[in-house]
Amino acid sequence: MCVKQVPDTTEVKIDEKTNTLIREGVPSILNPFDQFALEEAIRVKKVSESKIPHSFIAQQGHNFLCDKKENDEIVVVSMGPSQTRNALMKCLALGADKAVLLSDRVFAGSDTFATSYTLALGIRKIGEFDIIFCGQQAIDGDTAQVGPELANNLGIPQVTYVEKVEKIEGRKLVAYSQTDEGYRITEAKMPVLLTGTPPTSFEPKNPPIRSIMTAKKKPFVVWCANDLKGEKGRYGLNGSPTQVIKVYPPPVREKGVMITDTPEIASKKLVGMLVENKIIK
Amino acid sequence: MLRESVRGFCEKKIAPVAFEMEKTKEIPIEIVKGMAELGLLGCTASLDYGGSDLDAVSAGIIAEELGKTDPTGSIPVFYLVQAAWGHVLNKYGTDDAKKEIFPKVTKGKWFLGIATTESDAGSDIGATRTKIEKQGDEYVVNGEKMYISGVKEAVKHGGGHVTLARQTHKLGTRGMTMFYLPLNSKGITPTYMDDLGREGISCGGFSIENVKIPKHYIIGEENKGFYIVHEGYEFARGLIAVICAASALKSLENGIKYIKERKCFGVSIGKFEEIQFRLSEHYTRLNMLKEFAYKSLWLYDREKEGKTSRFEVSKNIAMAKMFASDWACNAINDVMQWQGAFGYSRECPDQAAWRAVRSFALAEGSKEIMKIIVARELLGKEFIAYK
Repeated sequence: MCVKQVPDTTEVKIDEKTNTLIREGVPSILNPFDQFALEEAIRVKKVSESKIPHSFIAQQGHNFLCDKKENDEIVVVSMGPSQTRNALMKCLALGADKAVLLSDRVFAGSDTFATSYTLALGIRKIGEFDIIFCGQQAIDGDTAQVGPELANNLGIPQVTYVEKVEKIEGRKLVAYSQTDEGYRITEAKMPVLLTGTPPTSFEPKNPPIRSIMTAKKKPFVVWCANDLKGEKGRYGLNGSPTQVIKVYPPPVREKGVMITDTPEIASKKLVGMLVENKIIK
Repeated sequence: MLRESVRGFCEKKIAPVAFEMEKTKEIPIEIVKGMAELGLLGCTASLDYGGSDLDAVSAGIIAEELGKTDPTGSIPVFYLVQAAWGHVLNKYGTDDAKKEIFPKVTKGKWFLGIATTESDAGSDIGATRTKIEKQGDEYVVNGEKMYISGVKEAVKHGGGHVTLARQTHKLGTRGMTMFYLPLNSKGITPTYMDDLGREGISCGGFSIENVKIPKHYIIGEENKGFYIVHEGYEFARGLIAVICAASALKSLENGIKYIKERKCFGVSIGKFEEIQFRLSEHYTRLNMLKEFAYKSLWLYDREKEGKTSRFEVSKNIAMAKMFASDWACNAINDVMQWQGAFGYSRECPDQAAWRAVRSFALAEGSKEIMKIIVARELLGKEFIAYK
């Protein structure tokens, strides 16, 4: 499970002199897309650990089929500065089993290419896996590139915009993805990478206090660049083919006009305004 | 993360409905369930019994968020008594009692309160008249308790109160025993009273007539209740100091918004020095209070680790609570004043907050008792006037 710690707002102010985001005074949170993906991973794990037979689960409307598995683990991994520990601790409190923080000064300035390279090294070092979950995108960069690039780096298939893992049978899974037209149902062989897209009804959970306390006892490791044994030129700024030239907010749109009246009067007012503004004759 | 989690719950679930408790006179069941799911109820109980094994500082963080969110003060009280007295039950209660009580308390099914006050015994606990007698393998209790929080909750939903009674009369305060008293016991007759504030949680009393208590409900050693009870009081006092600061700081936030917007004689009233000076003083005092309250809770935790003395904790906790209610009341009173006639109306959340924090000059030890404790530690026990 890959996660990112992001500023707690989608309206971070921009320093016009340096073209960088002003993060002072903005608290950091676990990227909400990642939290959704994690909660889906936890759901999948719980069902896969369930000792309830498949047929019973289907009858009870659990709407999820899965081969019974035990000893599955959710390992959550993130690349970032030491403060990223907070986001990882939240993942542990939500139900992840282990956390790995990839943290080194040489990782600073990574674009999505260098980030996915570094994450792939970390994941390989962790060991074998069935599913890699990522959020669709991070709310600070909004690129939605790290997941797909990571799948490429790991040489595994990917299913993007997944709202739900529907079924796991043997080494295959079936995922429901959101599309503009509706849902896309994809069957994929494991190991596979999924990027999660929450439904509109999704509300991130607050971890219970008990889980917050027990999370402190779960394994948490920090790996630096030397631990990953990658190519130094591919880390951080040096390994990033893209660079941010300028960051600027989109132009502010003028406030719209709300016409509140009966449909007949409102439509007349609307036509009058369109004529007045020479949009129609 | 603890604060983030509690704040998320407070903002989403409690804030939209908290002020309605002024009219409904009870904490919505969905809030109780939500508090249980999040692990706020009986949070100081051990993990083995369904609690979260929280220390005093962590319990204070929860109290602060609740105090900031609920202007009626009902949910903070509902929380704090269960945190503080859950701590006492967890530390001194029998394994059987904890297995029976905590799973229900932490799931929000039972209420766990504290019942020491009587009509003639408040600050002077030594004047307690309720008696507990050993009869064979069980105990029999007779007496009466008054001004107790959560009587209706325990009678209606189940649960009971950590209670203090006199066991060996000739030993005075050294002859008191603490025990758990289920309020649905045969021989309990509850009464209810109308408090000035904290509308969402009941206040009442109950008479106790030949109520039988099993042995495993005894908390700590017999005749040691007077000592044990102070550990619960001190935990609760630290939490109360945090709640007073949080509630009044929230009122100041309301006040700041108001005085920036409200114009008088053509200018925002926030430009008047009369208001500015009061705002600055209240803000400073309340932050000092909050910081000191956390220090006192931290000392409480340090004492458990054997790193400070019991009396140092008592002194600091008393210092934290001594002015908590007064300072909070004064700040909220000024916020009400700034808002003019609206501040005096039932529509204003700040007046509910004022009525709530006013109670804390009395609850869990009056401010006068706090002064006596501090003086006792400074001058020595030989200067206690009433001994």
